[in-house]
Amino acid sequence: MRDLVRQAGVLLALAALPAIAQAVRYHDRVSWRAPAVAKDEVTLEQTRGWGDRVMWVDARPDEQYAQRHVPNALSLNEDRWGELLPQTLEAWAPDKRVIVYCSSQSCAASHEVARRLREEAGLENVYVLHGGWETWLEAQR
Amino acid sequence: MKPTFEPAPQNSVRKVRSAWVDFRPGVAAAVGGIFIYAGILKVPDPVGFAGDVSNFHLLPWPLGVALAFYLPWLEILCGGALFLGWKRGGAIALLTALTAIFIGATLIARLRGINVNCGCFGTASKDLSFGWHLVLDFAILAALLLLWRWYRGDTRRATGR
Repeated sequence: MRDLVRQAGVLLALAALPAIAQAVRYHDRVSWRAPAVAKDEVTLEQTRGWGDRVMWVDARPDEQYAQRHVPNALSLNEDRWGELLPQTLEAWAPDKRVIVYCSSQSCAASHEVARRLREEAGLENVYVLHGGWETWLEAQR
Repeated sequence: MKPTFEPAPQNSVRKVRSAWVDFRPGVAAAVGGIFIYAGILKVPDPVGFAGDVSNFHLLPWPLGVALAFYLPWLEILCGGALFLGWKRGGAIALLTALTAIFIGATLIARLRGINVNCGCFGTASKDLSFGWHLVLDFAILAALLLLWRWYRGDTRRATGR
C-alpha cells in the first residue's frame, strides 16, 4: 500500500511540472478569474442593453425547447434545420440582432447554428449567448 | 490397433493460466494508449477544456482552469506509465480514481439537467452522445479494475502478503 501511494505521489508530482510550465506560457491567454468571452459571443448583460431589437434563437433539441425557453425565442436546431429555418427568416429584420443559445458554455450547437445563419442564410449580426441557457436560467433565479 | 490414452499433463492448468496472463500487457497498453490520446488532444487547448470542466458546475472557475492545465498531463503521464509498465500500480490507482470521479461528476451533472460535453477527447468526442460517453467510461473503468486485480494478485504473490 505504501508503495502504491509513493508511486501515485511521484506521478502526481511529475505531472505538475509540464502543467505549471504550460500555465506560465499561457498566462496572458487565459483568465483565472472568469471565462473569457469569444469574439462571436455576447454576454447576457450586453443583450439587455439592446432592448427589443433582439431575436432569440434556441439551438437546443426540440424536447428541451418544449420544456422551457427564453421568452419569444424561436427554435432552430440542426436536426430540423430545413423545416425550422423559414420561420426564423420570416421573423428576422435587418435592424435585429440574432442571439443563438444552446444548453451551456461548452455545447457547440449554438456556434454551429450561428455559423450557418451567417454563411448559409446570409444573416448579419448573429451572436452566441455566452454561457447559453444555463446563464440565462441562473439570471432568472 | 489398440488406442492409447495419454494422461493430461500435470501443468495444463498452469499453461492455460499463463496464456491468460499474457493478455495483461496488451490491455494495459490499450488503456494507457487511450489516456495518452485523450491527454494529447486536450493539451493544446487548455482554455477550451477549462470551459468543459466549468460546465459541470462543480468547481469554481479558477480551480477548473488549474485542472485544465494539470489533468491532460496527468493522463499522459499515467497512460505512459501504464503503457511502459513503470509505476504501474500508482498509474492504475490514479486512472481508476480519475475515471470514477469523472463518471460520478457526469451523472451528477446529468441529474441536475446540465447537458455536459465532457471534453474527454477534445473536439473528437463532441458529437458522442451522453449514452455512448457513459458506455466508453464504464468500459475503461472495467478495464482498469481488471488490471488492478491482475497486477495486485502479482504483487501479493511476489511479496507473500
